[in-house]
Amino acid sequence: MTSLIRAFGGPLTCLILFFSGVWVLGLIAAPQIIMIDKSLWRMERPVGAAELSVQIDGLYNRLDLLALDRSTVADQPEKLAAIDTETSTIQAQIADLERAETTPVKTYTLDNFRQMGAAHFAIFVRTILASLAVSALALVVCYPIAFAVAQLKTARTAALIMLMLVVPYAINELLRIFAWQMLLGPNGPVNAVLSALGLPAVPFLESGAGVFIAMVYAYILFMVFPLYNVLETLDKNQIEAARDLGAPVWQIHRRVVIPHARPGIAVGCIMTFMLSVGSYSVPYIMTRGTAAPWFTQLIYNRFFEATNWNVGAAYALSLLIVCMIFVFLMMRLLKVSLKDIAK
Amino acid sequence: MTGQTIGMEIELQRASVRFNRFQAVQPTDLTIRAGEFFSILGPSGCGKTTLLRMISGFLEPTEGDVRIGGRSMLGLGPSDRPTALIFQNLALFPLMTVWENVAFGLEMRGWPRAKRRARAEELLATVALADHAGKLPDQLSGGQRQRAAIARALAVEPAVLLLDEPLSALDLKLRQHMRAELKQIQARTGITFVYITHDQGEALTMSDRVAVMNKGQIIQIGAPARIYDHPGDSFVATFVGEMNALPCKLTESGPIAQCETPLGLLRASNPNALPASSDAMLFIRPERLRPLSPGEEAENTLPARVTRRDMEGAWSMIVTEAQGRKLLVNMPNDGRGAPPEGEVRLGFEAAEALILPKGEISHD
Repeated sequence: MTSLIRAFGGPLTCLILFFSGVWVLGLIAAPQIIMIDKSLWRMERPVGAAELSVQIDGLYNRLDLLALDRSTVADQPEKLAAIDTETSTIQAQIADLERAETTPVKTYTLDNFRQMGAAHFAIFVRTILASLAVSALALVVCYPIAFAVAQLKTARTAALIMLMLVVPYAINELLRIFAWQMLLGPNGPVNAVLSALGLPAVPFLESGAGVFIAMVYAYILFMVFPLYNVLETLDKNQIEAARDLGAPVWQIHRRVVIPHARPGIAVGCIMTFMLSVGSYSVPYIMTRGTAAPWFTQLIYNRFFEATNWNVGAAYALSLLIVCMIFVFLMMRLLKVSLKDIAK
Repeated sequence: MTGQTIGMEIELQRASVRFNRFQAVQPTDLTIRAGEFFSILGPSGCGKTTLLRMISGFLEPTEGDVRIGGRSMLGLGPSDRPTALIFQNLALFPLMTVWENVAFGLEMRGWPRAKRRARAEELLATVALADHAGKLPDQLSGGQRQRAAIARALAVEPAVLLLDEPLSALDLKLRQHMRAELKQIQARTGITFVYITHDQGEALTMSDRVAVMNKGQIIQIGAPARIYDHPGDSFVATFVGEMNALPCKLTESGPIAQCETPLGLLRASNPNALPASSDAMLFIRPERLRPLSPGEEAENTLPARVTRRDMEGAWSMIVTEAQGRKLLVNMPNDGRGAPPEGEVRLGFEAAEALILPKGEISHD
């Protein structure tokens, strides 16, 4: 604190603290707390609602009797007045009881999490497995690219190739996914090529393979850059030293390059996994209902079609927990600390 | 070490390297004897590292042949040659422990873990690192890292050890210590050492023979004393050690020639038997130039003026000026004291100065 003030001065320190506070509370803590809270309660019928309805029924009977009495004593103003007062008290009582009977009570429960049926759970698992596969495929595709670019002698060529990799991402994600949808569609160019080769058409979009392909494409950049960044820092002499000591290519990678690239692999896998598991637009556009949904679509449905925000929040929280476990596992598996990732 | 490793001879036959239009190494004939400590000395960019990479197998010669132990190495990669390379930055694997580093070459040769660990520890003991086997390279000091790199290279029992300025990152004291250590390891193992450096001190102290290289070409090969005392041309004369140079024109030829310099008529040895009236350079080492006491005579004398005196401890470097030319005089600290600033008479014997054809001067 004092060192901050010394470095930036009083007013600037206040500003920094203010913005960090807004960031931590507003962007990290608040949304999570709200969601976690929502997933943990639901509105329920109040306790003793059944007795209340018996009581209400009794009061209604009493009202009917009073109405009958009233017709018999129409000429006696004194009695009439008494009956009217009683009627209005009973009516007020009924109104109170009915409100108590129908006003739901906010109850904290884990039931929201138990709402997931077998079908939804299957989709949940499938989404996670597919996202793992997307990350793995992205890693397999990106590692050689990142390695090759990092090994280039001239920084200019490397920068150029990286720029070319980024260029497609200047176009809006939705448009790029639409493009893939057209490419892989039943009458798209890919199937046209297949039929020209005399092969049967492949239902990319209906089988879910399209989602997979488009996802690898959409998130591959988040794998390339972390990998490139670490591989670029690898001292080329290390590779030559390993070669000189008799290491074949695969051993050079196993013993020298991959251990060095661990933080980049961890960051790349975490990013692609989180993005794929949380992707909504890619599965939505690619399948448009023709293939089994992605878990994110189920969450969306809970919120905006079933309008059960509590179950929606529980679904979303389940996904978040899986993501956290994945991050933790990647860090353990690759022996990477938070400090390495921050680099 | 084990004593099984015996140095091999290296032979370059018209070997050259060209990158596109740039001729990095001119066609070179060179024989490095088996078991020799051979240094290649030259300024940065002279092609010495390229030459080393050609021997190690990271580069193929554009033309010519590289033979090690009498066998052509063309088409063989670095791992198939009987060589091991020690990199300028050592290139120890930072994520492996010291012993794993040393055992890496053995691991690649399929040695079982226990056996290669035992061998690595044996090697580490010979370089006095037995207690550091389990550490990471980052936890070692500069000199220890150096020795770990040597142990790693020796583990694959090379017949030729190639060293690419491995001492340049160390401080002066350690560097001098490591020179002795390298020399000792070389003598003990009998491996041929090829040592690349731009530091003439390193080349002169350690080597059996030194090759001086400039612009992709080896200019002179010889024992350190020969290189220092009898440089073959003006570049070697000025690159190796300090040297005073004067342009001159021969007035009289012969083994001891006389020449006209801006500082007057001077006599010096003429190894190339340059004829009279040729344009040449006269070279004289600072330690061969001495201030004359009144009445003392020498074969050549020059009047000069002392402008600065740098006391170095065992000796002093005296900067003098004669006719606007800087002349360095190196004087041992023999108790007589350096001449005071002001006029001085300098003298040297004709046999101690050299007349060489006019040529490139190193300004390092």
